[in-house]
Amino acid sequence: MSLFEIIYTGSNAALGLAQQTVADAIKEKGKDHKVAFPGTAYSLPVIYAATGIKIATLGELEGALGVVKSLIVEEEDMGKALNAGLATAVSAEIIEGVRYALSEDPYKNETGIGFVPDSIIRSLGVPLVTGDIPGIAVIIGESSDKDSLGTIVKDYQSKGLLTFLVGNVIDQVVEAEVKVGLEFRVIPLGNQITSVIHVVSVAVRAALIFGALKPGDLSGLLNYTKERVPAFINTFGPLNEVVVSCGAGAIALGFPVIADTDVPEVPGALLSQKDHNETVRTSLEARNIKIKIKELPIPVSYASAFEGERIRKDT
Amino acid sequence: MSHEVLGFDVTADALLEKAKRDGAETMWDRKAAMKASCGFGEKGICCKNCSMGPCRISPVEGKGAQKGICGATADTIVARNFARTVAAGVSSHSDHARDIIHVLHMASEDGNYKVKNPEKLMKLAKEWEVDTEGKEIYQIAHEVAEVALMEFGKPFGTQRFIKRAPEPRQKIWKDLNIEPRAIDREVATILHSTHIGCTSEVDSLMDMSMRTSLSNGWGGSMMGTEFTDIVFGTPTARSTEANLGVIEENMVNILLHGHDPSFSEMVVLAAEDPELMKLAKDNGAEGINLVGMCCTGNEVTMRHGVKIAGNFYQQEMAIVTGAMEAVLVDVQCIYPALPKLAECYHTKFIATSPKAKMEGATYIEFNEEHALDITKKIVREAILNYKNRDRTKVMIPQQKSKAMLGYSVETIIDHLDKVVNSQTDVFETVKPLSDVIWAGVIRGAAGIVGCNNPKVQHDNSHITIMKELIKNDIIVVTTGCAAQAAAKAGLLTMEAKELAGRGLREVCERVGIPPILHMGSCVDISRILDLVSRVSKERGLDNSNLPVVGVAPEWMSEKAVGIGTYVVSSGIDTFLGITPQVTGSARFVDILTNQLEDKVGAKFFFEEDPTVCAQKIMERIEEKRDRLGI
Ligand code: SF4
Ligand code: SF4
Repeated sequence: MSLFEIIYTGSNAALGLAQQTVADAIKEKGKDHKVAFPGTAYSLPVIYAATGIKIATLGELEGALGVVKSLIVEEEDMGKALNAGLATAVSAEIIEGVRYALSEDPYKNETGIGFVPDSIIRSLGVPLVTGDIPGIAVIIGESSDKDSLGTIVKDYQSKGLLTFLVGNVIDQVVEAEVKVGLEFRVIPLGNQITSVIHVVSVAVRAALIFGALKPGDLSGLLNYTKERVPAFINTFGPLNEVVVSCGAGAIALGFPVIADTDVPEVPGALLSQKDHNETVRTSLEARNIKIKIKELPIPVSYASAFEGERIRKDT
Repeated sequence: MSHEVLGFDVTADALLEKAKRDGAETMWDRKAAMKASCGFGEKGICCKNCSMGPCRISPVEGKGAQKGICGATADTIVARNFARTVAAGVSSHSDHARDIIHVLHMASEDGNYKVKNPEKLMKLAKEWEVDTEGKEIYQIAHEVAEVALMEFGKPFGTQRFIKRAPEPRQKIWKDLNIEPRAIDREVATILHSTHIGCTSEVDSLMDMSMRTSLSNGWGGSMMGTEFTDIVFGTPTARSTEANLGVIEENMVNILLHGHDPSFSEMVVLAAEDPELMKLAKDNGAEGINLVGMCCTGNEVTMRHGVKIAGNFYQQEMAIVTGAMEAVLVDVQCIYPALPKLAECYHTKFIATSPKAKMEGATYIEFNEEHALDITKKIVREAILNYKNRDRTKVMIPQQKSKAMLGYSVETIIDHLDKVVNSQTDVFETVKPLSDVIWAGVIRGAAGIVGCNNPKVQHDNSHITIMKELIKNDIIVVTTGCAAQAAAKAGLLTMEAKELAGRGLREVCERVGIPPILHMGSCVDISRILDLVSRVSKERGLDNSNLPVVGVAPEWMSEKAVGIGTYVVSSGIDTFLGITPQVTGSARFVDILTNQLEDKVGAKFFFEEDPTVCAQKIMERIEEKRDRLGI
């Protein structure tokens, strides 16, 4: 299967799941049942930012499925493949939206926090702009080795990055005795892949809040995230189609994906780095993140590790 | 005469009107006078290889003459004519290469010609196993040049550069017995075998054509490029301007037209001479404005950013502007009509090569021993001619476009290094290019090359195909007059990425390149062979596996036939926008457009409609991708 075919397969699977989830919810609660994430003025932020439409009910959510469908055009074309990636993001938001519609707190039995409220995003604004938070790492999947995973997260931590966790990596990181929580800049989102939307939602709301972007200006949004939100994705373990298609969504937002398995590489966007000792360096370089060494209270060994890091030629 | 055919180029109409007013004859007048061209020649079924002929075969099977007097069939005659065309094309490129190698052979520390790129020389010395231990650079240069000169006439062995091809490709050549031997030998063998009463077997003539063409692509042309880089430097990215608007109202305009960089490079030096610059000012001009045309124009623009006046079909128009003090030519693609045309104006037409003396031209022989002195003398003539310009007869069209060029393989790789993650990959490879092709971010690559031809709307096929391909995420590399068409159309700019599909646009942004890369002159098509082969090797495949094509939308010269044949023989499908003179033999057409694929994994496609051609190219590229499962 070509890379694009994998993406389309994943996008269609996510769409199918979203359709089913919405249909089941409507059967149970009716079309007028309320849909909302807690603590946000941006409705379902991804859908709102991309289309300008605020979703309030399950019925309207059903309408949003049309947006997803229209984004999946199965042609061997990079632009279309990236759109299909965005479609998966929207599907994920729809599924998560339903979870919140059906339950007061769908994450109460998980380590993950689920939806990130506006207040937290606002508190992140200043350190992001000043470079105090030099980057955002999104870690997805399940690592073959929890110790090296722990080391990676600690490394990001020590460099001041904000790390979001999705999937079994959450439990692995906890087992590796990494302190998690907003104050430690390590935020577990949820165990299911759809929880990844809650970090996308952070990036998207950053564009709306700090970039004063108009809802519905999709290309402006993608430009903002690419230029201004220094995020990247690390995936661990084998990738299924849905994860790959999520990855396409990340790439559409300008976030490079670094996998620890074999993937069809795209320079600067989709890389394979099997050596966990090199994950951090590879990722920072891929997102062009430079660490302001002096401002961080970290051991000297970290600083020296980064000296002479920029070895590429200027042409 | 209707100029409808020129509608695409806004500069042409007005200039042709002017030519008429000035009583100057152009190719369009001569094309009109030609009326319908001869059907026998058009189909390739006319033979005059001996004085029993000329013979012509009836184009209708079973009706009229079916054989020449000697018994040659239409198939044989078509194949023989084709083979001779290839031989002529190969000789032009190879003789050009021979000259530049001689120049390296005579290069010296304090001479006119130096070794500008010693690293490339050392690399080649190593590749060819020339012992460099304890030798100074010029001694090495001479020895390498001598080895190269042997490639033209060595009694044994095959071309050295074929080792640069991917291994499966080398094997195909070996199995088919078409590994090119000495260049001149291959050419001579074709002339021999196409003599009356020699080869009549069509497949054998095709094999010979392939072998001879390979002696160019992987011999003459490749050496031409390599040695030109060694002597004058490997091109690097730079900007320039293109189209007739680069001719300056208040400067001494000198047009460089032809092919040979050993001449044009010296003219560039001469035009920078402070004394001559002063002379120009003393004569009332603001300075000296050197502009290029055709491949010599490409050579000097790739290395010095010399502005491009135009491509093949504009050679007369450059003179018709009335602002050209001198036209300096060496060899190849120069209309014999130019000296006469120059007489309608004050323009001095100066031929410089003993290989291309031209009726009616002023002849100042260029020789490499006194290169700079001679070119200075020639430039002086041009300057002194400035005062003779008839200002009432001047009309310079104000069109010109910016262009980025200089994309040698080395420069492309340098750019690719920008997107290499130092933690996951190594620098100085074509892997990033191969990765984006494999991932589908770009669908494939097309090399668009070749000439202009009044049979089709000038530049229209080049531009239509280029635009269509980049829109669909196919990266384009280009050389020759096709590249100049792209330059004029503004396609060689960073901004042109907006015309590209999402994937290609992304690549352009990240790598910092235009969607169409100007890789040089016609001999520099060897750079394309090099690039494609590197990608093949990166993947452990053969060229014929890659989603890559060659296209000659408006080809006209025998060189182009020689090129197309070596590109196909190298495993790369080639699309011709002008049908070659072979249609008189259904069997030969079938060989070119069908059977060759079984032999060399690639074939010719004939398609004169540029939009349809682009469509077919894309289909073929997707077909190759499917076969690879990517
Ligand atoms: S070679 Fe044969 S076909 Fe050609 S001119 Fe002579 S007799 Fe005629
Ligand atoms: S592209 Fe064709 S016309 Fe132009 S210089 Fe080369 S051979 Fe001549």
